[in-house]
Amino acid sequence: MKDFILKRMASIILPFICIYGFYVIFHGHISPGGSFAGGIIVGLSFIAFSTIYGTEKGRKKLPEKVLVWTESYGTLWYGIMGMVGIIKGVPFLTNKLAGVNLGVPGTLNSGGLISFIGFGVGIRVASTMITLFFTMMEEE
Amino acid sequence: MSILIKKLIINYPYFAAFIIFSIGALTVLKRSNLFKKLIGINIMESAIFLMFVASGNIRGGAVPISNNNNPQSLYINPLPSALMLTGIVVSVSVTAFALALILRLYRSYGTTDLRRISEMGNEVAE
Amino acid sequence: MTAAITANLPVFIIIAPLFVAFVLPTLAQRMRLVENLVISVEALMLFGACYLASIVLFQKGIPIIYQMGGWSAPWGIELKVGSLGAFFLLVIAIVSLPIALFARGNLTFEVGGKERRARFYVLYLLLVGALAGMALTNDLFNVYVLVEVATLSCCGLVSARNHPRAAKATFTYLILATLGSCLVMGGIGFIYIVTGHLNMGFASQELGRIWQNNPRVVWMAFSFMLVGFGVKSALFPLHVWLPDAHSVAPSPASAILSGLAVKGYLICLLKVLYNVFGHTLMQTYSVHKVLVLVGMVAIIAGSISALTQDDLKRRLAFSTVAQVGYIFLGFGLLNTKGLAGTLFYLASHAVIKSTLFLSAGAMLAVTGKKNIKDLSGIGRKMPVTTAAFTVSSLGLIGIPLFSGFVGKWHLLLGSFESDNILSVAVIIAGSVLCAAYLFPIIRIAYFESAPEKDWKDPNVPQKLALILLSIVIVVLGVVPGSLLELAGRAAAELLVLQ
Repeated sequence: MKDFILKRMASIILPFICIYGFYVIFHGHISPGGSFAGGIIVGLSFIAFSTIYGTEKGRKKLPEKVLVWTESYGTLWYGIMGMVGIIKGVPFLTNKLAGVNLGVPGTLNSGGLISFIGFGVGIRVASTMITLFFTMMEEE
Repeated sequence: MSILIKKLIINYPYFAAFIIFSIGALTVLKRSNLFKKLIGINIMESAIFLMFVASGNIRGGAVPISNNNNPQSLYINPLPSALMLTGIVVSVSVTAFALALILRLYRSYGTTDLRRISEMGNEVAE
Repeated sequence: MTAAITANLPVFIIIAPLFVAFVLPTLAQRMRLVENLVISVEALMLFGACYLASIVLFQKGIPIIYQMGGWSAPWGIELKVGSLGAFFLLVIAIVSLPIALFARGNLTFEVGGKERRARFYVLYLLLVGALAGMALTNDLFNVYVLVEVATLSCCGLVSARNHPRAAKATFTYLILATLGSCLVMGGIGFIYIVTGHLNMGFASQELGRIWQNNPRVVWMAFSFMLVGFGVKSALFPLHVWLPDAHSVAPSPASAILSGLAVKGYLICLLKVLYNVFGHTLMQTYSVHKVLVLVGMVAIIAGSISALTQDDLKRRLAFSTVAQVGYIFLGFGLLNTKGLAGTLFYLASHAVIKSTLFLSAGAMLAVTGKKNIKDLSGIGRKMPVTTAAFTVSSLGLIGIPLFSGFVGKWHLLLGSFESDNILSVAVIIAGSVLCAAYLFPIIRIAYFESAPEKDWKDPNVPQKLALILLSIVIVVLGVVPGSLLELAGRAAAELLVLQ
């Protein structure tokens, strides 16, 4: 696309969309939304980038290797966070019993491991969405 | 008769879910276009989501977000909505996979009509 | 360290295949490592399953309860390693290890390059993990999620071969399976609406207390569950997707689809029917009669359709439809002997059908011929493969000393016990029909002259897999021992409830 206004506006707005996605991911435990919704928003910012600036440039920004790695290790991150409980001698995915400090309810650090788990799920969802987009665009 | 109508009016989300489900099921079974089948599946799934979410509703209940500006003690049940989020994720992945399959079928058969694809049978090369 | 591992074994056995599956795409360039990882995960699963089964046998019926995240039952998600869970876990581990071994030797022919093979293993491990979850979970919504994971990975496995026919079969399968899982989710929704619980034990207690208040909703839940799982496990009138999907898939995939994936849905149905509704409610709604009737129809119709097929893999696929009928019939017998026989039959069919599909796949890979008539004289050229095929055929028919016989025998005893003479006749007729569609293949393989071609037995991993599975069939037939005891105890537990 050769639209000058669109490109300028996108270059201003898209970083904020991406950051908003991460905001939604990290606030999943105290407000509506969460890692899935936030991950989609993050993925969408990259998808919008690729549609506006062309798939080639989008590919350059996120090579396939990076996508495969975030997709795989985002999920593994979930498992590692679950292991925290097992190392402490309590069941899988335990949060409070594992000795994680749960702060004041309603604040950002009140989720314990939930935000960390959400981060893994979020980047996984984002990379899955981007991979799907690239795959569908290639199958011409 | 009036009791039945009253029950229908009280339980209108379930009634709506039933109608949407029937529309979806009919679309899946009767249309031979692959895209329409996929849309039918999505309609069916949303009917189930509607039924599930409606089951968690409590009339007059508040949004189940705990903060201090919300003195009400009656909350709606958040569990079904949370479960349906999982359902939506599953439905998204099914849709993505089905779309990829439709693309593959279109590239080798040149049509998205299931009946014509079946007629062509095994003639298509790899 | 050891204590931590054994205490968390129920969850490790589910997440080990899942998380290894997620890492595999990054290792696609190092195929040897991927294969070794897959095999070692499967071997570890076998060890873990044996350990859990021995604990369950030793504890005499006290299940191991594992609470995810430390939340106790009505709020949290529970894993329950009872006799049924340990039994099915053992079956999964026993069957999936040889299939992975076979895939190691066979996959280059079936699927192709490195990337595709790595993706095949990803889907394979996802399916195994989902099945292990189905065996252990005690939560209704978990059942739905795991069923969905299993369905999507099954669809991926069917389309692993890059061929338009595979894509078409997968699409049909995907649409019907999603229809089925919609119905399953609806059924879970009805149970949740009536009881307010998703934990199976609590839902069952609540259902026993208040089902009279909403008898129609319970009826809807029954029918949604039956039809939903019926579509997924290829019950006779709903089986239309199965022959295409299972015959077009790569052979290791067909083996695990026919052998294990279908069984996973059956175990879920069994859990929902007996652990949630309970057998008293089943009798009230006459669900057991429906199950027996539908099973009988499936046995006869599936066997007759198998007789008419000339394509080897299609014949085996239709045979799966017939065998699923036996299991449905057994679910409806409502006595310990019948149910134990059904569970044992389920296990032996998992082993047998995988062997049949694997040996058929080995023949297909060497000869390139799909039609049964073209396989004449293959018994002399490929002795190991054909011997495995013969052993598993005899097992499927139900000849004594092979594992199918033990299951069928107990099924017959159960039918006698519930005074259902028609089902006895149908079981025997099914065996005769089974012999009618499997013996011709063996006859052609051994007693007809072979063409002058260079057909040889497959390479070592494939041979090893076939030999292992055949040994399992014979051992289960001669000394059913602890597996039968586990099945019997699982059946007793299912029937004791309420």
